[in-house]
Amino acid sequence: MGDKPIWEQIGSSFVQHYYQLFDTDRTQLGSIYSDARCPVTNKFCRVFSRGIFSGQKCGSIDASCLTWEGQQFQGKAAIVEKLSSLPFTKIAHSITAQDHQPTPDSCILSMVVGQLKADDDPIMGFHQSFILKNINEAWVCTNDMFRLALHNFG
Amino acid sequence: MAEKPMWEQIGSGFVQHYYQQFDTDRVKLAELYTDASCLTWEGEGFQGKNAIMTKLSSLPFQTIQHSITAQDHHPTPDSCVMSMVMGQLKADQDQVMGFQQVFLLKNVDNKWVCTNDMFRLALHNFGA
Repeated sequence: MGDKPIWEQIGSSFVQHYYQLFDTDRTQLGSIYSDARCPVTNKFCRVFSRGIFSGQKCGSIDASCLTWEGQQFQGKAAIVEKLSSLPFTKIAHSITAQDHQPTPDSCILSMVVGQLKADDDPIMGFHQSFILKNINEAWVCTNDMFRLALHNFG
Repeated sequence: MAEKPMWEQIGSGFVQHYYQQFDTDRVKLAELYTDASCLTWEGEGFQGKNAIMTKLSSLPFQTIQHSITAQDHHPTPDSCVMSMVMGQLKADQDQVMGFQQVFLLKNVDNKWVCTNDMFRLALHNFGA
């Protein structure tokens, strides 16, 4: 039996680590995102045109972005603050399926479908996607998008 | 009111076009992929425009309708656009099902193409 492709190994290992950390102590998730200052390039990234980043340069083309239920957060500090302040005490994620692909620019795209249970709330489906980039020999998460699987009809 | 960021315009423009094509004549989706594109469809991988189009064209339904519940778009470190879509679909007379899809878009020769595409039905094997 052949080995899994490298992007699957990296992707699945990241996914396992992410949810383990999320479920045990999500304040520690900072380690997987990147800082506002890019350690590799000194380039400033695109300017966000609305919200709290309006008119500001984010500081790095490699600063991590999180979109959580449609709300956007930029940079490690803002992301960790959002995740730490989520209004539940206990959380358990269960992964139904995950897919990983290499991207043209040597990143890894990962998609996760699963279910979660927060405190005593009913189990809910969720969707999450990540882009992982190798920066200074560590795989960091540059893009993270999370949505609960709630539909408004049908 | 401020304009949407560029990546949101590109992402939402692509998403609208993709599902419109998919639902009316999915053979035409070919122009969105290149020979370097990857598709993972329900866990199965397809590489390159031809393999992708063979898969999409051979999906076993006559009529299909997608409805988008939510979509999110990000710029990526390498100037690509990442788009995540959550929605529902109905194929033929089957019941409505939830789905998730993620695209990575890249500007190649002044045209935005899809280099990465992942699709899953939102089916869980346990729980609610």
